[in-house]
Amino acid sequence: MKNKRFTAFLIVALTALALWSLWPTYQEYSYNKQLSRFSSSEDSLAFVQEHRESLDNARAKSLKLGLDLKGGMYLVLEVDLIDLLDQRAWNKDEQFRDILATVKERASDSGARIIDLLAGEFSRQGIRLSRYFYDVRDTDEEVIAKLRDEAEEALSRAREIIRNRVDQYGVAEPQIQVQGARRIIVALPGVSDQERIRKLLRGTAKLEFKLVRDREAMLAGLERINAALEEDVESGSEAGEDTVDVLANPLFEHMTVMENGRVYVPQYSRDYLLSLFQRDDIARLLPKDTEFRMSARTIEGQDGTQFHDLYLLKKTPELTGNVITEAKATFGASAMQPEVTMKMNAEGTSKWARITGANIGRQIAIVLDGAVYSAPVVESKIPGGSSVINGIESLEEAQDLEIVLKAGALPAPVRIIEERTVGPSLGSDYIRSGLLSAGWGLFIVAVFMIFYYRKAGISADLALVLNILFVLSVLAGFGAALTLPGIAGLVLTIGMAVDANVLIFERIREEIGQKKNLRTAVETGYSKAFSAIIDSQITTLGAGFLLYVYGIGPIQGFAVTLMIGTAASLFTALVVTKEIFDLLISKNLLTERSFG
Amino acid sequence: MQLFSKTDIDFISYRKIAYGISLVLVIAGVVSLLFRGLNYGIDFKGGTEVVLRFEQEIAVGDVRQVLRDAGVSGSIKSYGTERSILVQTDFEGDVNQLRTLVSNALNDRFSENPHELLRIDAVGPSIASDLKWAALKALLGAVIAILLYVGIRFEFRFAAASIVAIFHDVFIVLGIFSLLGGVFDVMPLDINQSIIAAFLTIAGYSINDTVVVYDRIRENIRSQKSGDYPKIFNTSLNQTLSRTIITSGTTFLTVLVLFIFAGPAIRGFSFAILIGIVVGTYSSIFIAAPVVLDWQLRSKKPIRLRGSS
Repeated sequence: MKNKRFTAFLIVALTALALWSLWPTYQEYSYNKQLSRFSSSEDSLAFVQEHRESLDNARAKSLKLGLDLKGGMYLVLEVDLIDLLDQRAWNKDEQFRDILATVKERASDSGARIIDLLAGEFSRQGIRLSRYFYDVRDTDEEVIAKLRDEAEEALSRAREIIRNRVDQYGVAEPQIQVQGARRIIVALPGVSDQERIRKLLRGTAKLEFKLVRDREAMLAGLERINAALEEDVESGSEAGEDTVDVLANPLFEHMTVMENGRVYVPQYSRDYLLSLFQRDDIARLLPKDTEFRMSARTIEGQDGTQFHDLYLLKKTPELTGNVITEAKATFGASAMQPEVTMKMNAEGTSKWARITGANIGRQIAIVLDGAVYSAPVVESKIPGGSSVINGIESLEEAQDLEIVLKAGALPAPVRIIEERTVGPSLGSDYIRSGLLSAGWGLFIVAVFMIFYYRKAGISADLALVLNILFVLSVLAGFGAALTLPGIAGLVLTIGMAVDANVLIFERIREEIGQKKNLRTAVETGYSKAFSAIIDSQITTLGAGFLLYVYGIGPIQGFAVTLMIGTAASLFTALVVTKEIFDLLISKNLLTERSFG
Repeated sequence: MQLFSKTDIDFISYRKIAYGISLVLVIAGVVSLLFRGLNYGIDFKGGTEVVLRFEQEIAVGDVRQVLRDAGVSGSIKSYGTERSILVQTDFEGDVNQLRTLVSNALNDRFSENPHELLRIDAVGPSIASDLKWAALKALLGAVIAILLYVGIRFEFRFAAASIVAIFHDVFIVLGIFSLLGGVFDVMPLDINQSIIAAFLTIAGYSINDTVVVYDRIRENIRSQKSGDYPKIFNTSLNQTLSRTIITSGTTFLTVLVLFIFAGPAIRGFSFAILIGIVVGTYSSIFIAAPVVLDWQLRSKKPIRLRGSS
């Protein structure tokens, strides 16, 4: 009897716990309902201020809705570990670049670890990794271990930096997590300005201060490249490049050289030229340690074409962004242009003073992610460690620059490889149709159970309602989000959760059919159905578990509700209905006829 | 109320006919898979998907014409309602470019019928190939887990037969997806992530039904000790028939509700499960247990069951 009392206590306690965990959800719902009743915004503002604390509390603990129900952006970012490898390698040659290209190609259609692919490619070609990485005396295993550490470190640092950027941008309840060896999942509920988010996440925020080489060197370099391309065209080795096929001046066709030595590149030629300048045979034609870069901003030509400024820069930066301690978006004093002012740490300050002092009268380019923002002429030595980025289009862009500069530079570039956007109105459609399905599903099953099993059916329905309550409360309690597939899982659970009860009731009917007395029939029914229930529920749980492990995003939501629902049905169908029957039998309220 | 009181259907003697029907269905499915193939969604082939909704009804043909003229390639069809359009393209560039391209073209042409971009999904090729692997691993993992679990709880022959039943179910549903893929506008039956979830659910559901039958067979073998296996199997199938039909029925009804009410996003998913429930229920009666029986009759080894009852 003592045991019985414990079971009853357990049921009551668990139900109370479930209700308690769902209480904030109800609270938030009723607050929102009250809020929508106010006609003026002052009233609702006053109401929010009055109930701020409990409102915030309710929001924090209420049942979360997934991105698909709430609207927002889901992105998968890939950290470009190939770029990281490229940064880390010494004395790179043609062979190294070939290997990297192979690795890149193979990585593009598989989720394998980059380092493993690299190691595989090296051992296939019979070269030691230490020829390019770390110390020549390192064994391959040591190099692989070090590279792997470095890749992991890069990934977790990238996640931190992205988290900083998102936090500073201000998104409520963002989810940022590492997936696998090179991916970061970013879920941003409720964001609307997708393009801004994309830019914010994608930029490496690598800030560099580079010396601008003189115009003569740039023009001489361009002449050499032009001549080389002409030769290519004549010898026909450039068959693939149809853009430069028949032109007399294959390079200068893509740019305008002004009298004063400035070079402008039309926007449509930008990508072609950038990839051309990347080529090894072209880069060799430039003076040592120099590279071409273009301005971030364009200026409009007479016919409306947008032009970028072309610069020849010293490749090795004088100073990099890691000395930046502070960044602030403001409007400049002259012309009210948006700009970002920066402060440097002590080391940066002294270096900056030395660099500016040594280069008075020359241009220093401020380069962010490979694009030149401005290239002011140094007028005097700057002792205070301050610098300014101008040449920014809008205040919004300046604010985003501030965010990325504060958050720090990513260790390697990231690419967006998957992006899913759900508008808010679709979300509310989903909620409506999801609730409708769940309601109808529950109604149909409940009515059927009563129709088919009479009084016993009522107890199964009670168990079913309790089951749904448990699923929702576990979701709310653990902060897991309810998604549309999650609702589908819940509806499916409604159908399957009665299975255990059907098994038991059919068994009890059989036992009653063999003229056993009611109490014995119920006891045997439960005990004989037990093994079938366990076996069948465990297989369902197993399928749910596999879905959770291998599925991503939305599918996991389905798996979670299915698993919780199945596990909860073990308790509700076995323990709760048994308790109800025991109670009814002891009160003589249950007869053989109660099982239909 | 009782729908199936004390049935005495001779399932076992019908099994050869059932094998024949199943074989025809599976072969038809496989042939269709080989020649028609499947409609892969962007989850598995990469690409971009845009769902638009107009304020009023609109002819898909007009939208298709306008977007084609604007340079949007790929398929453009209606999505669920008369007002919604689904654009699927292998557009690989900036999602924002596509968004402005689509919006501008449609705003120019249909200024009196404004539209809203409900959803944009873009999946890169490497994600798509990873998903394929994950899906295969999940299905393989399910098969191994079931072999192990049923093997331990019952016997190897039972486990193998349940895998046969699962493949039977999955291939028939895949075959139907291949045959009907793209036939109905309201239900394109693309293979995407949620369909994989549906297949695992079908596998889980099929084994669930099968295990209940096995459980009864085990119990009856223990209590009767006669060794008249065909009779034991048939009695067990009859004894569990009521439960099998009722559970399948309630699950079928709820999934039917999902299919009708839950909108186009999970229509393919619920369709897969609807078919899966029917086929899975059939296979747990006519395939799984009969295969164990035939195997037993051929090998003549007595069934020695593990596990408790």
